[in-house]
Parts: sequence; structure tokens; C-alpha cells
Amino acid sequence: MKKIRIGMVCPYGWDTPGGVQSHIRDLTEHLISEGHYVSVLTPITDDSLAHEDYVVNAGKPISIPINGSVAKVLFGPVASSRAKQWIAAGDFDLLHLHEPAIPSLSLLACSAAEGPLVGTFHVSTPKKKAIYAIGPILEPIVEKLTARIAVSELARFTLKDHFETDAVVIPNGIDGSRYANAKVIDKYSGATTVGFIGRFDEPRKGLQVLVDSLAIVSRFIPDIKFLVAGPGDSSEFLKNLDQQLHNRIVFLGRLSDEEKESFLRSIQIYVAPNTGGESFGIVLAEALSAGTAVIASDIPAFKAVLENGQVGDLFVNEDSADLARVLVALLKDNERRSKLAIKGKLSAQKYDWQVVAEQVESVYEMAIAGGQRVSLSSESKFWSRR
Amino acid sequence: MSLNNLLLLLSLVLIGWYLSFLASRLDRLHHRVETSWATLDSLLQKRAALAQEIVQESNLDPATVYLISTSATSARYANMSDRSAAESVLSESLKLVLDAARSNSLQLPSELLVELSDITSKIKIAINIHLEAVVATKNLRQKLFIRVFRLAGRAPLPIKYAFENDVLENN
Repeated sequence: MKKIRIGMVCPYGWDTPGGVQSHIRDLTEHLISEGHYVSVLTPITDDSLAHEDYVVNAGKPISIPINGSVAKVLFGPVASSRAKQWIAAGDFDLLHLHEPAIPSLSLLACSAAEGPLVGTFHVSTPKKKAIYAIGPILEPIVEKLTARIAVSELARFTLKDHFETDAVVIPNGIDGSRYANAKVIDKYSGATTVGFIGRFDEPRKGLQVLVDSLAIVSRFIPDIKFLVAGPGDSSEFLKNLDQQLHNRIVFLGRLSDEEKESFLRSIQIYVAPNTGGESFGIVLAEALSAGTAVIASDIPAFKAVLENGQVGDLFVNEDSADLARVLVALLKDNERRSKLAIKGKLSAQKYDWQVVAEQVESVYEMAIAGGQRVSLSSESKFWSRR
Repeated sequence: MSLNNLLLLLSLVLIGWYLSFLASRLDRLHHRVETSWATLDSLLQKRAALAQEIVQESNLDPATVYLISTSATSARYANMSDRSAAESVLSESLKLVLDAARSNSLQLPSELLVELSDITSKIKIAINIHLEAVVATKNLRQKLFIRVFRLAGRAPLPIKYAFENDVLENN
């Protein structure tokens, strides 16, 4: 493909950790390494910190609740005019807007621009939930997207439900080799270490289910160790737990990227007890590419990644007794665990960025095939005329 | 000027603005239908040519060669109304190539096989993009305002091709 100038818009605060942000960061860095020019317009909370060269600050985001978590997004007249300036000055062949259907910077950029526009939809929510509820108002804007990408089948169905439009499914990519070659660290490794990563005070992350299973698991495997990584308040979870079991759970706090890679590689089993609201489960694919066996709740997103239990074990969602059963069985069976890990590592290759970026590039190629370039839309030109 | 006149003027301006907004929206969509079709069309032409090349370079049996080569020809020269059926037949018969490749009985320069799967995945995306544009255009053209004020002008109603996504599965 010929080298093009891409304008990428991130809806959420760049310096807040999140799946969408890391998706954009990885995709951008990959596209740059392929020789494309990429500029990322994004809200930034703390602009005193240094950011990547390709990042353009659009302003300070505000926190609003979306899809059960708190999202840091940005909109308003100032952001809108920054987006317009960025589009006018950028001389882009194509704009790639992430999550253009929620009130955010992406939506502003989409409404201000004209030409080849590609949108990626990350969210999957049950029908009639508030997030895309303003469908009819957004329709003229979302309609402008030349091509749509959904990060999972579930995200695609959400899109179909709300806008009656279809999308190409391209799953999130991860840099598999980083996880596969991560350093094994002693404090995370051991024959009976079970790991969990996530903002665990959000109920949908399901840490409670894992903690509840500890009482049963420890009866069969007395030296079991649960390692919980991620920001949050741990006292909530320890309150209802037997005093004697407290030393079986270690809260590690937030890990750096490098620590996370080592963590996933070092532990014996990764457990994802999420109770819902996930559209892809990137951490599962990361654990798989680290070569670690995985157990996950049987929510649709996880079933898809684990290929219906072929490359990782599933347990009945929100059922801690079933989780305990599956966990004990897998911890005791070394042979099956390593087989599962090998199968998982192989299947995770399809999420590698190399493959994913190639698919994204062919969408770009189709989108720019008309020969148009990105410009300000006629409406916004009219309004910005002095 | 009385208040009534002012209101009338204001609503006329609003209606005018809305009409021009709708018209530019529709124009954008029509344009997209055309460009996305042009992209898709050229990809399909390329695939037909590739199919001919594949049968020439491979050791496929005469029956398969005949099937692929005739379906490629008819896809190439089909008129608009027969186009999607002809392309579907070609997709079906190209599956035979993949089957042969899977059973290791195929002798074919590997770059042709790579090119085939490459073009197949591109066609999938192009179909998706084109159909989106067609559906959006059709939906918009059903709007009352657009029909009453004939904002679509003399642009023909886009045709929704019945490309079946499943005939393009290539794994």
C-alpha cells in the first residue's frame, strides 16, 4: 500500500489507562513503523508530562459515566474548533475515528470533516442502553463514515442494533512477542499462583467471584496464592473473607506495562471472572500470548477468544463454586495445563498487530480508493467563515 | 415588521437551511455509492483475471478448469442485473482451488494463491463499504422532505446487489 497521511482521533484521555487508548497507541506505532504519517488528536489530562511525538493535545477531558465505568471525554465549542484546526492543518488522506458514536472528540471530528472517514467501534452494550440512545440525532454524522470497523462480533451486533449498519470485524491486536519473551519474575511465579488484572472495584470486573472461590480452592490446595494487580481499594474484598485466608491474597497495585508482561508470563493460571460488559477481553489474549493457561467466565466475549473452551477453560459466569472446581482441576493437572497454554499461545497469534494492522490497512485502501482527501465539511466551513 | 412576519421569515430560513443540509447529505451519499462501486467493480474484474491466470498456471483437472474459466468470463461480461449472480458462481468455483490447495494436490505458484486470498478479503471489505452506502442512500431517499422537494434530482436509485458474504468465506 502507498504511504498515506492518517489523522487518528482518540475519544478518551490519553494519559488514563484503557483498552481504547492502548489500541490506538499500538496501531499508531505500527502504522508509523510501516512508513505512514500518523497524527493522534486526543484529550490529555496532564499536559505537563511529555507525550509521544505524534500526539496532539485537544484539551482537558471531563469525567462522565459510560457503560458502567467512568470515561474521560472531551467536547464543547473549544474542542470542536481545535478539531477543525487540526483537520484543516493536517492535510490528511484519511481520518480514523475511534468510538465516533459517543459524545466525544471523535464525534466532533466526524461532524467537522468530509472525505474518507473510517470509524472503529469498541463498545458492546445490550440494546436500549443509554450510550448509543441518541441514535437518530447522530445518524447524519455516523452516516458519513466511509468504512466501519468493529473490534469484535459483539461490538458489530451493538452497532447493528443501534444504527442498522454493518461493520467489518477486525479484532484488537497485541504485540505477542513482548509477552512471550517477558522476564519471569520470582515474586509472581510459583506452582500455585493465580493472577488477576483489572480495576477491581468495578463490580463487572468480577474480582468478588474470584475471592469467593478462595475458601473452596484453599481446601484442596492449601498453598494457593491469588495475585491481584490493578488500582482499587482492597479492604472491601477482605472484609467478608476468613482471617486465615487473608495471606492467600496479595494486592500488587497498578503494574507498569513491563511488570504486567512479566506478571502474565510468570503466573501459573490467569483468571478473568468478568461478569459482563466486555466486548473483547484484550487481557485474555495477552495472557494467552504469554503462554499462560487461562480460565474465564463464559460471557460471550470470552467464549469467542477462548474458542468455546478449546484454548482455555470456562466456568459458569458469577458462579464462584464452579470457578473453584475448574481452577483446582487445572492447577492439579500439569500436563493438561501446559497443553492448554501451548494451544492458547498459538491461537493468540491471530491477534498480533502485524496481522491486525494489515487488515486495517486494507480498509484504509478501500476507503481512499475514491481519490478524495479529507477536508472540512461544507457546513463547518460555512460556520467558521468570518 | 410584525412578529408574525419575522416568524415566517425565520421558519423559511430554517427550512431552507434544512433542505440544503439534506441535499448535501444526499449528494455525499450518492457520490459514495458511485466511488465504492467503482472500487468494488475493479476488484471483481481483477479477480476474474486472476482466476483465468490461476487455471492456466495450475494442474487442476479439465472439468474444474472449464468451470472456473467460464464463470470468470461470464462474471466479466455480465450486465448489471446478472452481475451479482455471476460473481457468486465465480466465488463458488474458486473454492475448488482452495479445496485442492488444502488437500495438497494443487500445483500452483504460491504467489497466485496468496494474491487470491488477498483479493478475496479486499472484496469482502469493498462489498461491505458499498452496501453500507447503498442502504444509507436508500433510507435517506425515503424521507418525506427529500421526496417532496425532489432533492435526489435525476440520480438513479442505487441497486442493492445481493452479494452473499458466505460465498466469499476463504478459510
